[in-house]
Amino acid sequence: MMAGPIRKVVIAGGGTAGWMAAAALSRLTGNGVTEVVLVESEEIGTVGVGEATIPPIRTFNAMLGIDENAFVVATQGSFKLGIEFAGWSREGQSYIHPFGAYGADIDGVKFHQVWLALRAAGLPLPLDDFSLCTTAARLNRFQRPDGNPASPLSQIAYAFHFDAGLYAAFLRRHAEARGVVRHEGKIGQVRLDGETGFITALALDDGRVIEGDLFIDCTGFRALLIGEALGSAYEDWSHWLPCDRAVAVPSTRTAPLLPYTRSTARKAGWQWRIPLQHRTGNGMVYCSRHISDDEAAATLLANLDGEATADPRPLRFTTGIRKEPWRKNCVALGLASGFMEPLESTSIHLIQIGISKLLALFPDASFPAHERDEYNRLTALQWAQIRDFLILHYKQNQRAGQPFWEECAAMQVPETLARKMALFRAAGRLFRYEDELFTDASWAAVMIGQGLMPERHDPIADTLDPAEVRNLAARMADAFRRTARAMPTHADYIARHCAGRPM
Amino acid sequence: MPADAPLATITIAGGGFAGWLAASLLARALPDLAISLVEVPGPDRSLGVAAAADVLLPDDLPLLGEAGWNGPDLLRGGRAGFVLGTALSGWRADGATAFMPYGEIGAPLGPIPFHQLVSTMRRRGQPVNMANYALGALAAQAGRFAPPPPGDETVHAALTFGLSIDTARLAEMLRGDALERGVRLAGTWHGEAVQRGDGGVQRLVLADGTSLAADLVIDASGPASPLSGARDDWSPWFPFDRVASARRTSEAPAPPYVHCDAHHAGWQSFAPLADGVGELFVFSSADAPGAPAAEPFAPGCQQAAWTGNVVRIGGAAAQHDPVAGLQLHLALADVLRLIALFPAACEHPAEAAEYNRQWREKTECAFDTALLRLACSGALGAVWDRLRARALPDRAAYRRDLYAANGRVVLHDGEVLEEAGWTALFDALCVQPRKGDALSDALPSAKITAHFAAIRQAMIAAVGRMPPYQALMAQVAA
Ligand SMILES: Cc1cc2nc3c(=O)[nH]c(=O)nc-3n(C[C@H](O)[C@H](O)[C@H](O)COP(=O)(O)OP(=O)(O)OC[C@H]3O[C@@H](n4cnc5c(N)ncnc54)[C@H](O)[C@@H]3O)c2cc1C
Repeated sequence: MMAGPIRKVVIAGGGTAGWMAAAALSRLTGNGVTEVVLVESEEIGTVGVGEATIPPIRTFNAMLGIDENAFVVATQGSFKLGIEFAGWSREGQSYIHPFGAYGADIDGVKFHQVWLALRAAGLPLPLDDFSLCTTAARLNRFQRPDGNPASPLSQIAYAFHFDAGLYAAFLRRHAEARGVVRHEGKIGQVRLDGETGFITALALDDGRVIEGDLFIDCTGFRALLIGEALGSAYEDWSHWLPCDRAVAVPSTRTAPLLPYTRSTARKAGWQWRIPLQHRTGNGMVYCSRHISDDEAAATLLANLDGEATADPRPLRFTTGIRKEPWRKNCVALGLASGFMEPLESTSIHLIQIGISKLLALFPDASFPAHERDEYNRLTALQWAQIRDFLILHYKQNQRAGQPFWEECAAMQVPETLARKMALFRAAGRLFRYEDELFTDASWAAVMIGQGLMPERHDPIADTLDPAEVRNLAARMADAFRRTARAMPTHADYIARHCAGRPM
Repeated sequence: MPADAPLATITIAGGGFAGWLAASLLARALPDLAISLVEVPGPDRSLGVAAAADVLLPDDLPLLGEAGWNGPDLLRGGRAGFVLGTALSGWRADGATAFMPYGEIGAPLGPIPFHQLVSTMRRRGQPVNMANYALGALAAQAGRFAPPPPGDETVHAALTFGLSIDTARLAEMLRGDALERGVRLAGTWHGEAVQRGDGGVQRLVLADGTSLAADLVIDASGPASPLSGARDDWSPWFPFDRVASARRTSEAPAPPYVHCDAHHAGWQSFAPLADGVGELFVFSSADAPGAPAAEPFAPGCQQAAWTGNVVRIGGAAAQHDPVAGLQLHLALADVLRLIALFPAACEHPAEAAEYNRQWREKTECAFDTALLRLACSGALGAVWDRLRARALPDRAAYRRDLYAANGRVVLHDGEVLEEAGWTALFDALCVQPRKGDALSDALPSAKITAHFAAIRQAMIAAVGRMPPYQALMAQVAA
């Protein structure tokens, strides 16, 4: 292999992953040497789902210099304050996992510990009252923070829902404007170097050959390059995340426009609901060992709150991760690199952090092992952290009488998660590991929401003056309630700032 | 004792710095606890090696502040000097001196870290001295200093400093505080204890024959603790085995940084105090025949810091080579971790397991920091050659090799240096990335040069507005 900068980057696939990569990697062309091309096939199409995000997507937009309102307009997007989990702890109960924090720490004592201490003292206040995002979500209201760190509004953290097809088109315009060249065509063959096993070119069905130095595999579940051609093994996680199929269907928009994603537990899986400006996205994620495809689709259709506007689309997957997401001169992003179900809307985020890692570790044409090893090490760590958080939702369910859910409750979880749960159960302690994505507030929201209640609270919380704490807590909840009531409705806010064109 | 009986009594074994630190902070955080402390005769090795001065890192100061000890208390009680970083002499193969500042170096350009910009320019043939873009280094050079005023949002706010304290004096102050808060001085302990089956302790037997039971025992009696459990030996990595320390007084305050000088058999450091200098000599006995009297020490750590009801903190948990000046920082981290995980009940397997996990992480990061500081050096001498000839353990080697490949810094949970600190360490010791960052290399030189110039100009202006260090110290003394 030669030294010197990578001359040509070839992105295979034009779904969300492909176009996110193209938009971000277009910056590399600034050195005057590197060229970025993307190949996609309209005939094959994209997976067509993946429409809910988490707040760090805003960093990605900012890195690309994308105006947020223009982005929401172009993607028929809406705002998201968190996820409602309906029926996940038990039938009839629901909680919201909000973005952002709960309350404010008091004298260095974490707020959830203060809350636990109040509860132990006979004052069981709803945890929801101490999240501005949850309070606003329950009222269907939304507003961005106003930049004043002293205002309760500064507690608002948000992400987006968007139309996946429109998002890819939006990023395509961005990338093409910055010099990325798109080739339409179906990849028939991946050519490898006989000696090194590196990918040398993609041969298209129409006879064109696209050569390159670095290949980004964004071909979705097919994993044409990283899997089929390079044989990077797949680590199966379905013993922890047992759902293996999904069926998706759009429906008409309903009022009010909710500022959050909803996930509703069903007999052998769960149903998602993603509110957009022009439609609602719905789907059912399920375990084929416990429910038939027909029954899953029927359950989904029976539980729409608008009218279905297309036929249900089936999808199959195996949860898990590519053992070497970077192998030889190929880096896999998106579905080609692995799949975890969209319970916490983390897939697009994983694409995003894959891209920033790749940029930070961008190799030269000699492809030293260090970059690859570090990329793979960090990827494995980040995926495993998210995996544990998702497993928690399943493990900690109390849906007695349903075999799928009982099986989940009985499963043996990874040691890392078992430790986290034991520590929380003992006295509500939480520690964030190695820059993990989900904060203490997120873990607390889901643990408490799923009914994992600590046996005690941190003894430090007992050193606070109980009367003062009650007072402070009451004032916090009141400030959040008043702030949320003063916000515009989600629908009004969008109409005023970022309404998409009627479709 | 019933498993969920509330944990109400603590005994601290060892009245050195670490013991009194634990006593003071625990008494402040958990006023309802009944805390006793037993003293151990002999010099204070509770932090690891007995040093006249120890360093509080920049990040330690706000943590201590939250725990109730703010800057002025520490300055006064510890006869402290300010520390902006470490000046190195004799550490580089090219003979040059170097400065490792605390805090950020330069500023990133969008998503590109500063040191990657430096690396790009160097490979384009332009020499860049990173210390020229660190506020602390510039202030130290100019002999100017002032802590940034609270709420400051100017360049000055980036000035990052630690404190070098007179260990014995500060221990005195912590002791006074603890006793005032009701910590009971229970007597002298010579090391006799009645063990429990689980690695814990039922009671300590004191010098006067009485015995002392406690729900939790905090072992702060140093590396030679009688409560020591199974231990990992680090001497294959760390050849230095002798330490001596002295405190010298001086008329004028020493400059605001630690000076560390490598010599053929080891190294010595000079830490500034308000009225003098704390000196530390560390060397390999095999390489320094006829060296003056010094105490032996042997780097290593306990396999578990918390077993049964015994929590080992500071030097009782791990004896680090003192080169990175971390022993006070680590003891403080131990005490704060114990408070953060303080068990409510006498049976506490989840808390102990988590404590051990976090402690091990931190211990390994500190191990890497000290080891790479030594092994990447170009110091002259047979002991240094032996040190460099030995293959590094995987984790430390990975850190060095990745940085040398492309300037990427590996960060784990227990890090004591963070990205800027590792960069400063590697750069000071001449470990330079072979390959550039792709985004940085895509930038024109003019753009990078302009960014550098803007940073330097702003920093020089900020330093110019600081008072002379001597004047500040005179004010502190008054
Ligand atoms: C049921 C479900 C729900 C989801 N919900 C969410 C969510 O709420 N939030 C979230 O963040 N993520 C979600 N995801 C994940 C998200 O959809 C994906 O991460 C994202 O869409 C990226 O997909 P992709 O670009 O990797 O693959 P795809 O969209 O499948 O794109 C593959 C591309 O490769 C091209 N291609 C394939 N083969 C060839 C060939 N031979 N020649 C040429 N081109 C080819 C295709 O044409 C296409 O352009 C969900 C996924 C599923 C399955």
